[in-house]
Amino acid sequence: MAANERWSVEQVAAVAPSPRAVAAAEPLTTPARWAALGADERALWGRCRGSGAEPYDTMVDHAEVAWRCSCPSRKLPCKHALALLLLWARGGVPDGAAPESVAAWVAGRDRRAGRAGGRDRSPAGGGQGGAGTEPDPTPDEAPLPDRDDLDRSRDDRVARMMEGLTELDRWLEDRLRTGLADPALARYATWDQLAARLVDARAGALANRVRRLAGLVGGGPDWHAEVLAELGVLHLIAQAGRRLPALPGPLADAVAAASGWQVRQADVLAGVPDTDDWFVAGRSDTREDRIEVRRIWLRGAATGRWGMLLSFAAYRQSLDESWTVGTVVRADLHRYPGGALRALVGEREPDPLPLRDPPGMTLADASDAIGAAIAAEPWLERYPAIVTAAPAVADGRWVLTDHTGTLPLADGTQARATVLGASGGRPVTLTIEWSPWGVRPLALHLPDRALDVGPRADPSFVGAA
Amino acid sequence: MTLDDYWRELVTASLLGTDRRDPPIPPPGPLADVVADAVRADPAARMLAAVGATSAARRAGFSPGPPATVLQPPAADGRPWCRPAAVATWRRIVAEWPVLEDEWVLTVLERGLRVPPDALVELLARHRNDAIRRARVALAGGPMAAWLVDHVPELAAATGRAAPADAVTSLPDLPVPPELAELLTADAHTFARRLAPGFGAGAYGAPHRAVLVNLLARCRPAVLLDAADALDATHVGLALALADLARLRHRMLVELGVAG
Repeated sequence: MAANERWSVEQVAAVAPSPRAVAAAEPLTTPARWAALGADERALWGRCRGSGAEPYDTMVDHAEVAWRCSCPSRKLPCKHALALLLLWARGGVPDGAAPESVAAWVAGRDRRAGRAGGRDRSPAGGGQGGAGTEPDPTPDEAPLPDRDDLDRSRDDRVARMMEGLTELDRWLEDRLRTGLADPALARYATWDQLAARLVDARAGALANRVRRLAGLVGGGPDWHAEVLAELGVLHLIAQAGRRLPALPGPLADAVAAASGWQVRQADVLAGVPDTDDWFVAGRSDTREDRIEVRRIWLRGAATGRWGMLLSFAAYRQSLDESWTVGTVVRADLHRYPGGALRALVGEREPDPLPLRDPPGMTLADASDAIGAAIAAEPWLERYPAIVTAAPAVADGRWVLTDHTGTLPLADGTQARATVLGASGGRPVTLTIEWSPWGVRPLALHLPDRALDVGPRADPSFVGAA
Repeated sequence: MTLDDYWRELVTASLLGTDRRDPPIPPPGPLADVVADAVRADPAARMLAAVGATSAARRAGFSPGPPATVLQPPAADGRPWCRPAAVATWRRIVAEWPVLEDEWVLTVLERGLRVPPDALVELLARHRNDAIRRARVALAGGPMAAWLVDHVPELAAATGRAAPADAVTSLPDLPVPPELAELLTADAHTFARRLAPGFGAGAYGAPHRAVLVNLLARCRPAVLLDAADALDATHVGLALALADLARLRHRMLVELGVAG
């Protein structure tokens, strides 16, 4: 690549690891995201504001085709380097003198490549010649893992997961062949062995789901129907997982997450944040195996989109107590791949914003919203909504009701009694969490305060926050 | 055949297993098309495809049932609510210094306040077995308490025993030894001067904890803050704990509008 020659957008796309990487870089191609931008005949540089406390230092050698970025991504080039190149290709990077760090990097590359007589802009001098597309390890930083090793490791992991999904589907067929009345289903070992196999296959989320399913056996008069429905959902995940490469990107990401494909937090935090005033709509704790799981449901004031934060606590560990139900917090939410509900928090304003009345939907509208979410991801086990409804009894069962209909309430005497007490039988705005077994009240939004009534972790299990 | 009818047939077939019963034929429509797309010779595999598609369709297509009749509301109660801070203090009392709970509930009654619903539910569940405390909670909850119990039988009293009226409205005495009894009515200066030096001199230790707690739970509210300061100054563990009790009781009374 000749120096001084500005790249075209097509040339930038050609060095990207995938078209999706270019798409991920696009939102970063606005000058507002960058500081200390500059370009000379050899390099581009800039500081990209991401989710971390510090912006990412990005530099690109556009003459010898190499990049370097302080972000945690393992993709080469990362989206920050691609965004810098795109911005430059569109004339958005001003000319300037390279800062010392960029000059040192370029000089170090030249020196290692044995280029003689190159520009000596660094204090240590340098050489010239050669080119590279790999990062440049410097003495003060650990070298990144070899890319081929990473690919091999990933391929191996994909193969193991595919084997696990195939085995899961075969196991499900066996269950339908022998029938749900088979006494083997009443033995926990029947389920636990499958779960252990799925853990081996790196499908931890499916393993957890299988263990939860074991708890449904014999749990109520309709347990056969509930178990059958869950077996069907497991089949959907297994089938979708085995066809992962053929699925559209967001759906593939959702299936991978449902199967247990791990995504590094650093990679999630490197994504473009969803910045909003987040209403802390509800909290729900559940025990999963030997871990207490806390879900915090957040609703964006501007977008109306939901986000979910997860925290985990083993015995005597603490759950995240930093989110108070009923408050509004301005924060950056970084979603897991596929536009998932699950997210991590990046930057967050320390002080809550003034409380605004949350908009309560009718039960019919809430059902539509929940149904649409389940249609997109049939394996969803819970989904939130804010509704305005009154507690009532229909056919001997507690329900929420309004003029559009009723939704059955899941078990939970204390939450139900608090909803009754706070409403006095009249309509009240509340956050509910849908599950296949009914809706669960998580929070009541009263005119002067919010009542957090979601299921709470056993205090003798989790430690003090 | 509706989707629910087909689902019931699937459940029945799944109980027996496809070794003994053929999977039901799906009703014509999109579901049948989806299942037919999955070309599988094995009945179990065919049925699994049908179960997956039907589960997804039923969950995604869930809709509300018909509207229900709303409940008759409880009789009106014109008393003001306790402040949320007072409820938060009650929760701390229950967790850390339950000796103060009787006074908290009785003060709520004396001040003409009513307990908010979240605390009322917890109080009703907490005092199902104690007739006297149960009666106090019923008074503090007013018509709402009776209404809640009607609708949530799990909150009903476990005992049918009636509580004596004077016991319900009076603070129970707590044992305080004669040498400390005069401090129950002492002024702040006397209280602090008599109590605090005993810790430094080793006169009070763990065996005295219960009676000292009783003393601070029943002494005059006006002495609490001075007593807490004097106890803190001793830097003795037991005295520091008692100072915490004194401050919590003072805060409780301020929040409920008794002490200034």
